[in-house]
Amino acid sequence: MSAIYKRGNAEVRANLTPMIDVTFLLIVFFVLVSQIVEVENVDMNLPEPVDALTQPVGEDQRAVINVVPDQSDRIEGYRVGTNQFPYGVEGVEALTEHLTTMFRMNPDMVVNLRADRRTHYQWVEPAMQAVVNAARRTGVVDMSARINLVVINED
Amino acid sequence: MQFNLTAMIDVVFLLLIYFMVATDFKVGEEIYRMDLPDRSQSNQQSDPFDLDDEPLRISVASSGFGILRYRLSIEGPYPQPDDFEKLYNFLQERQINEFTSGGLFDIDHPIIIQPTRTTRWEHAIETFNAAVRARYTNVIFAPPQ
Repeated sequence: MSAIYKRGNAEVRANLTPMIDVTFLLIVFFVLVSQIVEVENVDMNLPEPVDALTQPVGEDQRAVINVVPDQSDRIEGYRVGTNQFPYGVEGVEALTEHLTTMFRMNPDMVVNLRADRRTHYQWVEPAMQAVVNAARRTGVVDMSARINLVVINED
Repeated sequence: MQFNLTAMIDVVFLLLIYFMVATDFKVGEEIYRMDLPDRSQSNQQSDPFDLDDEPLRISVASSGFGILRYRLSIEGPYPQPDDFEKLYNFLQERQINEFTSGGLFDIDHPIIIQPTRTTRWEHAIETFNAAVRARYTNVIFAPPQ
């Protein structure tokens, strides 16, 4: 029997259905966003220049190269999305090939480069060179191919 | 028949709070745009009457652990900067524009940043930032020395 036909004082009840709907949507949103952020960005201490004249990260189609640091002065390798590339000639060549494929699919792609502030330049430069070589192989050098250097700017 | 939703709502709110706290949106991340190093060379029209600009080469080396341990040097007969602020001042003062007299370098004068193999990335970036802050538009990195 429905509550409306009960005798006695009327019972006040909150309808929880919309709240549960919204809450589940929020959970799904946060789960997806946290996975996307984790895949794209490796956790590291990016450089934080003083009085940095930077620009916000745009909405361009992009590939993000992470120069993954290890506990010593060396690096674990390079990561683009879920693809890992070890440091060394073969790893950099594989990274170049991967970027070449991405450039062929999207010639307007920009490449964001993320490296830890402690990482030595000798480990970062091969990633930049890989972008140059990949752009050259696909013939996009004369177009808008460029590298974005990612830093922290809290100002 | 009615379900008791209290327990489920408790769990759902706990999950929501967990993901809100654990999600890091990387809000503070921004970028420097840097053209590919050989882009400018391939685009240049060769004008026989145009003199080549000798690039300004700035070397940066890390001399230990920490943000303040570095050495800067500018190739050529220029005063050598002690820190990134002085490098920025030098680059700004020597720029040809309506606000400075005695400028040497156009805004698109090629500037090559030359880190060593062991230069920390933060020092390379600070050097790059000094040139970008001074409004130079043609700044690239050289292979490590």
